[in-house]
Amino acid sequence: MSDSLHWLVGQLAHLGLNYAFLLDAYASGKLLDGALTTLGLCLFSIVGSLLVGALLAAAVTSGQRWLAWPARAFIEVTRNTPTLVQLYCAFLVLNMLINQSLGSANPMIPFAWVVLVISLHKGAFHAEALRAGIEAVPAVTLEAASSLAFSRRQQLLQVQLPLAVRFALPALVNNLIDLVKMTAVASAIAVNDITYASIMIWTQGDNVIELMLLILAFFGLLSFAVNCIGRALEARLRMPGYGH
Amino acid sequence: MPSEPLIQLRDVHLAFGDNPVLRGIDLDVQAGQAVSIIGPSGSGKSTILRCMTGLLRPQRGNIRIGDTAVEQLQGEAGLIALRKQVGFVFQQYNLFPHLSVLDNLLIAPTKVLGRPRQAVRDEALALLDKVRLGHKATAFPGELSGGQQQRVAIARALAMRPKLILFDEVTSALDPEMVGEVLAVIRELTEEGMTCVLVTHEMRFAEEISDQVYFTEHGRIVEHGSAEQVFRAPTHARTQAFLQHALGEGSQRPSRPAPDVLTNLGRYSLSV
Amino acid sequence: MAIEHFATLWQWSPTLGAGLLQNIQISVGAIGLGTLLGLLVGILLLSPLRPLRGVARLWVQVFRNAPWLVLIYFTSYVFPFDVQIAGTWVAFPDWLKVTVGLALPASANVAEIFRGAVASIPATQWEAARSLAFSRGQIFTSIILPQCLRRMLPPWMNLYAVVTMGTALASLVGVHDLIDSAQIAANTVNRSGFTVLVYFSVLALFFFYCYPIARLTQRLERRYAF
Repeated sequence: MSDSLHWLVGQLAHLGLNYAFLLDAYASGKLLDGALTTLGLCLFSIVGSLLVGALLAAAVTSGQRWLAWPARAFIEVTRNTPTLVQLYCAFLVLNMLINQSLGSANPMIPFAWVVLVISLHKGAFHAEALRAGIEAVPAVTLEAASSLAFSRRQQLLQVQLPLAVRFALPALVNNLIDLVKMTAVASAIAVNDITYASIMIWTQGDNVIELMLLILAFFGLLSFAVNCIGRALEARLRMPGYGH
Repeated sequence: MPSEPLIQLRDVHLAFGDNPVLRGIDLDVQAGQAVSIIGPSGSGKSTILRCMTGLLRPQRGNIRIGDTAVEQLQGEAGLIALRKQVGFVFQQYNLFPHLSVLDNLLIAPTKVLGRPRQAVRDEALALLDKVRLGHKATAFPGELSGGQQQRVAIARALAMRPKLILFDEVTSALDPEMVGEVLAVIRELTEEGMTCVLVTHEMRFAEEISDQVYFTEHGRIVEHGSAEQVFRAPTHARTQAFLQHALGEGSQRPSRPAPDVLTNLGRYSLSV
Repeated sequence: MAIEHFATLWQWSPTLGAGLLQNIQISVGAIGLGTLLGLLVGILLLSPLRPLRGVARLWVQVFRNAPWLVLIYFTSYVFPFDVQIAGTWVAFPDWLKVTVGLALPASANVAEIFRGAVASIPATQWEAARSLAFSRGQIFTSIILPQCLRRMLPPWMNLYAVVTMGTALASLVGVHDLIDSAQIAANTVNRSGFTVLVYFSVLALFFFYCYPIARLTQRLERRYAF
């Protein structure tokens, strides 16, 4: 393992890229730590955002004004403001207020704030995709279900939702790829993700370009993985003869 | 036929907003009969069928199917009970695109009637054979031609073992060469004694298979009687004019409606 | 108590306003530069020459899949403090680096929007134009492009709104923008009530700038829907 790493660093040196820091235990440990943190941020936020998205979509399409309206407002505000500002409003403002009332009993760590904010943010985007999917289910298809004596609930579970998820899936996958990239914002509140770890390392050395390429490759890999999983899911749920 | 009719409509009125569509429809269908409703586009034919299965609710009048007073049904349970007995076949087939052909047939009997999957499966395969699509059981609706989809839709309705089936312009969306295969299936059903109500533009077919024919115009029944009487010796001037036009030019078909467009919903997902 | 905080906010409003202008300046610069670059890359994407297409595709792939924040770090830390143009040293300020950092992903997205718009024009348009004896170039400039621009407008406006929200990241590399101003204000005043007010004001300012763009985008989309 370390032999091949030595070899790789040597090869890259020929290209004028100094990756010697990878051989340093401190730097490589910090990077690995950062990579794992980013991975954790992605996994938790993906699950969280999908949950939030489903709940918001349910609220928006519920037909209940008192549910739909606040959900709609939340989605619009979330979509039209920067994630960083949302993160500050959560971590610098809400966290401060919680600290003031609970003191050291505050259970929220920066990592959790990032997961929460990204989940809510991307959840709003998922909700839009799901809502569009639900609305794209042709009324006549539901009429067919109803003429086959399906109850309203069966129509929803057997026909409307399966179709809506299929329609929304490409948009959901795009959202998740964007979510992966978005986790870099965690570095703004000193969560030790891969971006933050890299900043820590390059402030001590002169290897910004090398680290940048490394981060870009890492995020590229993560996006690629999400994309592959998404495509596999799309292939599984494919409706032969429709679209694409 | 002396017995009580299976379907009975009395003075049914329905309006969409200010626009009256049905203005007093009286209609009887005996069990085992095939009844066709003919008439110009927009005369309310499809609306009559939708009222029978409770998809639309008339503002006035009575609809009785078997022992059920359809217009009095309150809530979902009653409608579900009604629809278990009444099959409906749509102009646009309306198969479930995410399910295979076989699953399209199985879903309602298993989920709605709660019948065991294995028994329903055997029945469904037999039904697919009957509509000459036994080899397409694993295909998806999107992979079939319009005529094939419509035959699957008929089999899907039959899988519920309905007492009667309503056919709503089931050949209007089809290319001409596929009309025959669908009509052949319906003809077989009528010969087996299934109670069928058809809204159709296929005049010669209606004449051939129907026991009774109703001619509607502007939301009223203008004339009704046996197929032979309505087609060969119509008494009303409007019927005569319509039939002359419809039969003279071959079976006239309305323009083909656009298929459901299932768009890709690529919304902007970008955010920072 | 609340009134007092609003009064303090009023006192700080010139600072915050200057910060907001900085954000808007960066957003306009980034979308301008990004659009120019993006159209160029977009045309290369459609080029008949394979190597050119490959370079363009690589550009789009890299800059669409990179986190914007990382690109901003990249331009901020890698670009020099000043550059020599025609013998004189010209300063390369932080805000300009951020502008370039945002223009890179913007260009990749513009290229994709452009490619998508061209692809959405039905092939029959090309056939019809060809049958009228138009040349390839003529078809492109007088038939395809006008239709494309109309279709590009809504996603392009959406991109502008996203770029504007992206300018919030400028504060992380030391640009004195709205968020930076808000942080300074919150730390200087050091009252929790004011901190709440100032951060949510920043949120509101971004919202009132971006939301109308989003609404207009939706309206245009609906109008151009076909």
